Amino acid sequence: MRKLAGLALLLPPLLVFLGFFVGPLLYLFYVSLHASSQSELYGAGFTAANYAAILTDPFYRRILERTLATTLEILGLSLVIGYAAAFTIAGLPPRRRLFCLVLLLFPLMVSNVVRAYGWVALLGRRGVLSTALRDAGIIDRPLTILYTTDAVVIGLLTILLPYMIISIANALASIDRAYGEAAQALGAGPVRRFLHVTLPLSSPGIASGMLLVFLLTLSAYVTVTLLGGPQSKMLVSLVYDGVVAFDWPRAAALAFTLLAAALLAAAIILAALRPRRVAGRG
Amino acid sequence: MMKPGKRGRAPGAALVLPAITILAYLVIIGPIAIVVIAAFSPTEFFVFPPPGLSLRWFVEFFRLDNMRSAFALSLELALSAASLATILASMAALALVRRRGALAGVLQGLFLAPLVFPTIILGLALLLFYKTVGVGILPGLVLAHVLVGTPYCFRSVLTSLQSFDFTLEEAGQSLGAGPFRTFFLVTLPVIWPGVVSGWFFAFIVSFGELNTALFLTGPGETTLPIEIFSYLQFQGSQLVIAAASALQVGLILVLILAIERLVGLARLARS
Repeated sequence: MRKLAGLALLLPPLLVFLGFFVGPLLYLFYVSLHASSQSELYGAGFTAANYAAILTDPFYRRILERTLATTLEILGLSLVIGYAAAFTIAGLPPRRRLFCLVLLLFPLMVSNVVRAYGWVALLGRRGVLSTALRDAGIIDRPLTILYTTDAVVIGLLTILLPYMIISIANALASIDRAYGEAAQALGAGPVRRFLHVTLPLSSPGIASGMLLVFLLTLSAYVTVTLLGGPQSKMLVSLVYDGVVAFDWPRAAALAFTLLAAALLAAAIILAALRPRRVAGRG
Repeated sequence: MMKPGKRGRAPGAALVLPAITILAYLVIIGPIAIVVIAAFSPTEFFVFPPPGLSLRWFVEFFRLDNMRSAFALSLELALSAASLATILASMAALALVRRRGALAGVLQGLFLAPLVFPTIILGLALLLFYKTVGVGILPGLVLAHVLVGTPYCFRSVLTSLQSFDFTLEEAGQSLGAGPFRTFFLVTLPVIWPGVVSGWFFAFIVSFGELNTALFLTGPGETTLPIEIFSYLQFQGSQLVIAAASALQVGLILVLILAIERLVGLARLARS
């Protein structure tokens, strides 16, 4: 009876997720294995040509490399800045820590299009920064940073930074003080205590922060488009362009290339940081 | 000492770390603040700081048909998607909370997956699927937003259920209450903060959702974030967009205050 009730509860959400999440993804993969077609959604017969084209075509190659380089830059910067901020926040008294964390949650709730718009207004040739710097006599020509990969890095870094800070701050706040005190009693200085006690114990927070930043960077089409312009396209822009061109199989193959990159990165991050080791597993 | 109290700090860190933190907050919140402030500008074009205050761009926003209908659609979508997601997620959480084992783990992972799954791929997959089986724009959007919102509700309800004492349910049932009565009279009154904050989260996520909506909206049936995006892309930075953004930010602030009133902010920071 209890089992039956459990099944009845599980069935509706499970069917929705299988029917509209897992199913469509499998179908997308199926489409990616076909040639393009002018009249149909996809051509007849199986082929791996879409994937081969993505991996060999120099145009795709260049964009793949740019995507990787930009993503790594965002990841590195957000880790360093995020850790510093998280370290400061984790040391605050509980009420102020809560306030600081809520202050970071609020921007996460604002749509990315609004946050990217803020950077367009700041970084544009006649934007807020350009005008202010010229009025102050610091520069004599307008800023040309908007529509470059630098603008994409700045925008995505600041949009995703709260994820990194919150993840690490929560991990830091849950570390038992006794570990640090024990290390101190055994004569470890502050730097050694940080490197050998705090840093390894905060690795679950680092891992989840890095995963979130990496995965969200890969699919940030709107931010990349608004700040990078046509010259700084990333992998995700190609997926969109494929859809606009009604080349479904190519768009599908690009989407799965993106997914493969995401899974590979997730595996590398988890293998390098082994966050489960902190909980005594793995 | 990893609570970085003063004695635990490396020399020099005492100055550098707070400086980086303040800078981080500035670049995170600054761009949003600038847009919101500029929305109240009386000028024709984006000027910062604005030379005066006016509501002309908010009036303009509600005067434009496409903006008004995008705002209305986003509200309807967020209300229906958040409610559906809360129901589905609560069912899933109730079914899975006391299960252990590999299958339960996989199912939990499935319901949480849209949190980290590249949603642009989900959008594309749904678009192709809808094209093939013939799903209309509106139901298609609702479904997509339900998928994106469910993990937030699932996590929130699951956390509430994990500290729920299930002997209460058994007590209710031994006194003759059926499963529905037990849920509504015993379980729900205890776990409602998790349900409520899950609903709010799903609402907010749906209201700002971009990546799936990007592919699934159509002419005349556009959500506010997508409308803002296409304005920015094709007509440049106009202050009516700043007003649209400010409305979004205002709505979120109201919702955060509501969460604080109803269930407290500590729950928000934990989830």
